[in-house]
Amino acid sequence: MPRPPARAPPSALLQGALLALALLASAHARPDLSTGAAAASSTTRAASDLPPAHARSTWAAHAEAASLSADAPPSQTHSHTLAQTQPAADGGGAGGGGTAGAAGDGPGATTPPADDPTTSDPHDGHGPVKRYPVAQVEFGRVETPFIIGLWIFCASLSKIGFHMAPKLSKIFPESCLLIVVGVVIGVLLNHVGHVNMQPLTPDTFFLYMLPPIILDAGYFMPNRLFFDHLGTILLFAVIGTVWNTVTIGVSLWAVGQCGLFGDHNTAPVLHVFVFSALISAVDPVAVLAVFEEIHVNEILYIVVFGESLLNDAVTVVLYHMFEAYSEMGVSNIVYTDVLSGLASFLVVALGGTCIGVVWGFLTGLVTRYTLEVRVIEPIFIFVMAYLAYLNAEVFHMSGILAITFCGITMKNYVESNISHKSHTTIKYTMKMLSSSSETIIFMFLGVATVNDEHDWNTWFVFLTIIFCSVYRAIGVVLLTAVANRFRLHKLTRVDKFVMSYGGLRGAVAFALVLLIDKRHIPLQPMFVTTTIAVVYFTVFFQGITIKPLVRILNVKRQEKRKPSMNERIHERFMDHLMAGIEDILGHHGNYHVRDKFKRFDNRFIRPLLIRDHQGAEPKILETYSKLAMRDAMEYMRRNASTVGNISGTESMSAIFRNYTAGNFNGNLNGSFSQLDSSTWNIDMQELEYNPSKKDLTDARIHHLLDEELCKPYRRHRRLSYSRHAVNDRDLSTQVNYRMHMNIRRMVGERKHHHKRSKRLNKDGKQNHVSFPGITQNGSAKQFSNDYLNEVLKETEDDGDPEVPKSASKEDWESAITFTAKSAHELASGSSSNELQKKTSRDSDADSARVTTPTATETTLPWKRGDDSDATAGPVKQSEFPAWCSNKEYLAYSSPSATFLGGIETPKVASVIGLFRRESTGSVNDAGSDSSLREASGGTASPASAGTVLLLEEAAAAAAAAVAAAGDAPAGPSEGAPRPRRSVTGRRGSLLELGAVPIPEEEALTLGSPQESPASGAGPRWPPPAPSSRRGSGARAPLPPPPPPRLAELSSASSSETSVEDDDDDAYDERRAIHRAQK
Amino acid sequence: MGNRSSLLLREEEIAQIQEETGFTPNQIERLYSRFTSLDRGDCGTLSREDFLRIPELAINPLGDRIVHAFFEEGCGDRVNFLQFMQVLAHFRPIKKGRDNKLNSREQKLKFAFKMYDLDNDEKISRDELLAILHMMVGANISEEQLTSIAERTILEADQNGDQMISFEEFCKALERTDVEQKMSIRFLN
Repeated sequence: MPRPPARAPPSALLQGALLALALLASAHARPDLSTGAAAASSTTRAASDLPPAHARSTWAAHAEAASLSADAPPSQTHSHTLAQTQPAADGGGAGGGGTAGAAGDGPGATTPPADDPTTSDPHDGHGPVKRYPVAQVEFGRVETPFIIGLWIFCASLSKIGFHMAPKLSKIFPESCLLIVVGVVIGVLLNHVGHVNMQPLTPDTFFLYMLPPIILDAGYFMPNRLFFDHLGTILLFAVIGTVWNTVTIGVSLWAVGQCGLFGDHNTAPVLHVFVFSALISAVDPVAVLAVFEEIHVNEILYIVVFGESLLNDAVTVVLYHMFEAYSEMGVSNIVYTDVLSGLASFLVVALGGTCIGVVWGFLTGLVTRYTLEVRVIEPIFIFVMAYLAYLNAEVFHMSGILAITFCGITMKNYVESNISHKSHTTIKYTMKMLSSSSETIIFMFLGVATVNDEHDWNTWFVFLTIIFCSVYRAIGVVLLTAVANRFRLHKLTRVDKFVMSYGGLRGAVAFALVLLIDKRHIPLQPMFVTTTIAVVYFTVFFQGITIKPLVRILNVKRQEKRKPSMNERIHERFMDHLMAGIEDILGHHGNYHVRDKFKRFDNRFIRPLLIRDHQGAEPKILETYSKLAMRDAMEYMRRNASTVGNISGTESMSAIFRNYTAGNFNGNLNGSFSQLDSSTWNIDMQELEYNPSKKDLTDARIHHLLDEELCKPYRRHRRLSYSRHAVNDRDLSTQVNYRMHMNIRRMVGERKHHHKRSKRLNKDGKQNHVSFPGITQNGSAKQFSNDYLNEVLKETEDDGDPEVPKSASKEDWESAITFTAKSAHELASGSSSNELQKKTSRDSDADSARVTTPTATETTLPWKRGDDSDATAGPVKQSEFPAWCSNKEYLAYSSPSATFLGGIETPKVASVIGLFRRESTGSVNDAGSDSSLREASGGTASPASAGTVLLLEEAAAAAAAAVAAAGDAPAGPSEGAPRPRRSVTGRRGSLLELGAVPIPEEEALTLGSPQESPASGAGPRWPPPAPSSRRGSGARAPLPPPPPPRLAELSSASSSETSVEDDDDDAYDERRAIHRAQK
Repeated sequence: MGNRSSLLLREEEIAQIQEETGFTPNQIERLYSRFTSLDRGDCGTLSREDFLRIPELAINPLGDRIVHAFFEEGCGDRVNFLQFMQVLAHFRPIKKGRDNKLNSREQKLKFAFKMYDLDNDEKISRDELLAILHMMVGANISEEQLTSIAERTILEADQNGDQMISFEEFCKALERTDVEQKMSIRFLN
């Protein structure tokens, strides 16, 4: 028993699919005579192979698809079959196809439309009971979209193909190649015999293919350029097009009167004018396709391209006007018709423009509120632009103008509202849509060539081409002469040539000629043929030759560039200047108008349409942030290796030396002349600070990003899928692998926390040295000298209020040097005794050298979770950020402190704090070299457990300290040398510290409150001033090292109070253990 | 008034101005009538107030600077017609094969540069740039942001590392810009 017709038998389907593949032209029927016949014949063919019902179901669907898209007006005059097809098509589904099939089959077809396979109820009537099929194939249902998809697929494939053959695409523009492919496909179709459906119906073209291309053009139109040359563009678009139409029309008609066209000599003048109207318009699609490849200078490009966009209104009006006239007949035209033709031009052009502008503003307004639903931002741009196009078409206005101006208008507002990702999405989607539309258009053109019934009239074709070229050239020459009178930048002879040569005709003309109603204009086939010939000529001949010609004529090429900061600012400056000069002159020229509009825009429109309106010069800001971003990226890319592999040789002191060498020599001759530079340098060298690789990396990245006003990503570990938000991290831009890894490492720090802690005890290496002068700076400054300089200036303002404003740069810098020194002394002083005493316990020291990696991780400012400044947007980093002056923060959370390992609780005076205290006390002699001498005079603090080392001794002591620490291999050279501390044994291990020789890094910063009376005053001391004075610490009664409190650091991520509690407990414990050990 | 004044311009004056600035006599007369219409006091010179009375110029963010540029060359606080024309001559479009004394690319750039360079030290300092940025960008932007923009700009143009933009650096930074066209205006005949 035959199955219901819905299930096309595999063979039928196969054949259908084959045909569809073999060529897809069937998707779009062209409503002419041949359609019905084609459907009929193919149905017959199929029917011969298959059982009739099945054949019908397949082919009927096919024909139906054809007829559905056959929405072009004329149908009555066409064949009988087509007339039948159309009403049936209304029934939807394959019903219409069924009818067509029936008609084709003639009397043999008995299936009524009710048998519509897709809609009929299986239980209806007396049909056999349907068994549930295991699998079924139903091609008819998906045929139309399937074929469309195939079209796009094939077209895109061929595009790939061209780019695989660079030789080919060097010579031929892509449009030529696409047309060739189209022709080949058309020929194939011809052989298959299923060729009569015209794929490129005017409606498909105008409603679906043209808008993306034009939107792309409008949206990415260089506004400034466009409006600067608007006068010239309009001149060419309006006057030029009218000129071309009239001259071509008159000439063709005149030649026709001479009898050159044979049978068609009698063509009425209006018919010729219809043709000349459509053939005279420069086509935006063709112009884009060719000019995108030849890269002429922007002025030339904008003039030709702008003309092709704006002449649409003229073309449409002229075309419809002449068409209507020719329907009326010459004798019936009254002068009001002519006038209304003129008026309708204004309506069409201005109406289209207004609709576009209004929709553009609306789009801006809508995107203002998309903050929460970023993912749907792009859709507004596309849909609203498309609506603008359709809206204009509804009123028979120029849709092209509407969508162009919609794009032009919305661009500025939309771009400041939408997110960066949406911007990228829009850009790519638009380019994708427009380029695939363009591909398909050219391919269809090729197919149409083969398919159509041609009426070749050699003279007509030849003369049309000649007239098109000649009158175009004449028009350009005349109009540039006019335009140059008003132009500052005169169009040269070469420009004129390119402009006239670039007057390409294309798909718009072709679509328009297909729209011609054959009933009124019987010459339509000849027009179609001629149009195709003209399009071929312009696209092939001119398209191919224009590239070498441009090269030969040495046309100024366009250089692609992004504006630099200077250009942006100075050009803007010049704009204002010129506007001012125009005002002084009393002219109301371009600059004046633009200035006025800008003012209006900034005052009224932007605040309304833009979410956060950012002052008057968004472009400057935009350029700045773009450039800053690019710099950051480039830096990372260029230095990916160094960022990742800051080696041990690049120690803090090396960094510091570089820095001081760079700056002191230039600036500080006076104050440092007396300073014993050798002492200085020894000091610096001894204090080789070897921060772990990761620390440096982190610091680098942090500072780098911070400088560039961008914040590193916070890790959002979101496993769930969200439909309405795109995780930014998913979209991270392409950076090279190393950089990516680095950033990941930076943001993903927490993840590794535990691992690191476990490894800690095994190889606890000493690579943390307290180095207050530097810690304030962070580690990674030296890579940007300018930044340092800038920072140096700022410190004068940012410094501790107690420090007089007069504190000069020199003072500040000397403070660094001094703190470095004194830190060293401190280190030596506090630890040297013990170190010397307990060298035997070095092995213990090794195991006990425990710092606080967890604290590092949890307290580095860019890793903390809830920092207000993390959300407050980019903050410019100053040399002494807020935490510098906040002592508690300094102790716990400063990156420097954590970098350098040794950190104590806020109760204990940090080394920095000590210096601060001293610095405030010794402001006066700060900066004087004598203070250093004094310090070296051996004024050891009675209270200090350690001794203050003389400067001369310092070197030796430091050497000793380093030696003592030396058995812990220098960190950075090893894989991940960050000292680690086991989580479980945290306190125990720390407690040991009290008994063992205090490793250098702890000794440097730790002060013991019990042993040192001075340290009791610690908390009262003013918070460390960022600009500590040089020499201040030198005479400091050095506080004895406090018991190590490193444990607390690890809890620094928790709140401070808890830390303090913890601190007390821990301290007690420690003491107990200390005693026990003793 | 303009008419009457333009009649007062003597032939030799026109010739002299034409010689110095390259304007055609027609342009000179036209500009002279503009000049006199700006000259409320009828004293043959313009004061700053005269300039700032032009409404658009008064709201031009750089209005003050532009006016100031007119007073740069001459001494005193008034500018006479010749000085006026000399300044304007910078904005004449460049014609090939003609003598482009005041309106060469370099002169145009120099003019712009001088507008930045308030203290006449032949360098644009950070503060000078910042001042201009302030005028152009307006108040909505934080000071830090503007500062970093200014610094970035200087950094970009600075070649000798003095944190200033010298005239050579200025030209270099703008070498891709079509200054000839951007700083030209079509003077009506």
